[in-house]
Amino acid sequence: MPDAAPLPLDPRAIRLDAEAGSRDDAIRQCGETLLAVGAIDEAYIATMIERERSISTYVGEGVAIPHGTLAGKDAVHHDAISVLRFPGGVDWDGEPVVLCVGIAARDDGHVRLLSELAQILLDPERAKALRETADAAEVFRLLQPAADE
Amino acid sequence: MPEKTVTIASRSGLHARPAKMFVQAAARQGVAVRVRVGDRPSVPATSMLGVLALGAEQGTAVILQADGPGAEEALDVLAELLSRDLDAEEAADA
Repeated sequence: MPDAAPLPLDPRAIRLDAEAGSRDDAIRQCGETLLAVGAIDEAYIATMIERERSISTYVGEGVAIPHGTLAGKDAVHHDAISVLRFPGGVDWDGEPVVLCVGIAARDDGHVRLLSELAQILLDPERAKALRETADAAEVFRLLQPAADE
Repeated sequence: MPEKTVTIASRSGLHARPAKMFVQAAARQGVAVRVRVGDRPSVPATSMLGVLALGAEQGTAVILQADGPGAEEALDVLAELLSRDLDAEEAADA
């Protein structure tokens, strides 16, 4: 697997008590958080929703990883992720989603980001801890590359 | 065990959308298919997280393996899928 590196997560891009009325609402919030840390232009958010309509970014373990389309890449300033936890859950086309990891990546950066995130989530204990924690420091700890353990 | 090596054609690699199309196609096969990159451990081709964890980019060679009746056909179907630029098809759909 690719060399592990820390995920580009700004502390301001973590929200552990989010609420969303719908899947699209949750995606928009993930995008707005990426926007707030200067990672994207607002135009990227619409491409995140467009992507989701094309194919679901639900990956299992109660986690979705919304990200923009290829066309949206021009609206990305730098690689970043956002972590939003929806304790009340979000109906993701029938799948209950508690954790959303919004992803913005330039060029081929998303493959590395997705790979690292997937390696972390493949550990059911870690995925569960991520779904349940209300502590941002714990999120950072859990998102350290799997190889560190 | 029958194996087939295929090079990822999708521009952005085997990421969320092409990965999901691959995982869904794998689930439609009558046999269990596994996929790996090089000497690394294989993952079930039906596991979205497993497939994403491979980190396969455009040009990465992945090895598909399956065993039992229908294995060769399943490998052919999945290899054909990965040899297409699934991102280009997305652009065509839009």
